[in-house]
Amino acid sequence: MNRRWRIALLGLAGICLTPAIWRVATALPRFGEPSEQYGPAVNRLGPALRHVSNMVSAVNFDFRGIDTLGEEFMLLGAITGAVVLLRGARGEDLTAKAARLPGRQVIGRAESTILICRLFSPAIMLFGLYMALHAMVTPGGGFQGGVVIASGLLLTYLGEGYRGWRRLIASPVLAALEGGGALLFALAGLAPMAAGGAFMQNVLPLGTFRDVFSGGLMLVTNAGVGLAVTGGFGMLFLEFLEETRATQSEDTR
Amino acid sequence: MTVLPWFAAAWLFAIGIYGIASSRNLIHLIGCLSVCQSSTYVLLLSVGYRWGAAAPIFYDHPPGTMAVDPVVQALVLTDIVVGATVTALLLAMVLQVGRKYGELDPQKLRPLVARAHR
Repeated sequence: MNRRWRIALLGLAGICLTPAIWRVATALPRFGEPSEQYGPAVNRLGPALRHVSNMVSAVNFDFRGIDTLGEEFMLLGAITGAVVLLRGARGEDLTAKAARLPGRQVIGRAESTILICRLFSPAIMLFGLYMALHAMVTPGGGFQGGVVIASGLLLTYLGEGYRGWRRLIASPVLAALEGGGALLFALAGLAPMAAGGAFMQNVLPLGTFRDVFSGGLMLVTNAGVGLAVTGGFGMLFLEFLEETRATQSEDTR
Repeated sequence: MTVLPWFAAAWLFAIGIYGIASSRNLIHLIGCLSVCQSSTYVLLLSVGYRWGAAAPIFYDHPPGTMAVDPVVQALVLTDIVVGATVTALLLAMVLQVGRKYGELDPQKLRPLVARAHR
C-alpha cells in the first residue's frame, strides 16, 4: 500500500466516522461552563476530608489512587521495555569512545558550559526535590519533581561528559529507585488492607492544612511516584546516552 | 470564541493522524503521534475549564473559591508522563529497526517472517 492509498484510506475512514464525530461534537459542553459534578465535588470536599490544598495531588494520590497505581505500572512497563531493547549493544564499557561520522571534528566543551552546568545542575535537582516534597501544598508533586530531578541529571552529563557522568550515576541505583518507587506505591495501597481497612484507605494522621506534612498516606504514595519517575527517566537517559558510544568494532576501526 | 479550544484539539488530532498516515520516516511518525496525544491535553483541560475560576490549589485562596476541575488536570498530568515514557519506548524500537534494516521508511520495511525465509 503506497502513500497515496494510505491517505485515501484515512479519508474514507474519516467520512465513515463523520456521523459519530458530529454527535460527539454537538454534545460537548460550552467552553468555560463545565457540567461535570465530580471535579467540583472534589474541590468542595477535598480540603476538609484530606487536609491538603493541592486538589490535583489529592485526586492523583488518594481519591483516584488506584488509577495512578495502574499508570505507575504502565510507566514501569514502558521503561523496562525501552531498557531491554537498548541494553547490551553499546556503551557498557565506561571508556567507550563517542561514535562519530568519519572525518567529523570533535569539539570539546567550553569552560563556560562546564561552569553553568555545575552551578545549575544541583540547583535544578534541589528544586525538583522541593517540588516533589511540596506536592500536597503548592503546584507540583512526584511526577513533576521526578522529571525535574532527572533533567538535572541530564545537565550533569552536558557539563561532565559521558565518562564523568557514568562515574557519578550508578545504573543499579536508578533501577532500584524505579522498581522501589512502584513497590512503595503498591505497598501503600496494600498496607491498610493488612490492618483491616480498604485498599489505599487513608489511615495515617492527616496533619495540618497548608503544611508539608499533610495528607497522611498521600505522602507515601507521592514519594513512591517521585522515586519511580526519577529512577525511570534517569534510566531512559542512561540507555539513550549509551547509544551515542561506539561499539567495540567501530572503536577499533 | 467559545468553540476555539475544541477546534484547536480537533486540528491537532487531525494533523497528527494525517502525519501518521502519510509518514515516510518512523521517527517522524512518532513525532506525529506525540502531536496527536497533545490534542488530548487540550481537550481535557478545555473540558474542565471554568470562566473566572482559580486553580484547584487552595493555598493563596481559601477553600470554597470557585476553581477549575482538578480531575482532568490529574489525568493530563499522568498522560504527559506516560506519553513521554511510551515515546521513549517507541524510539528504542525504531533504533533497533534502524540497526537491523538500515531503513526507517515504513513503506520499505518488510515483515520479519518474510525476511527470515529468504
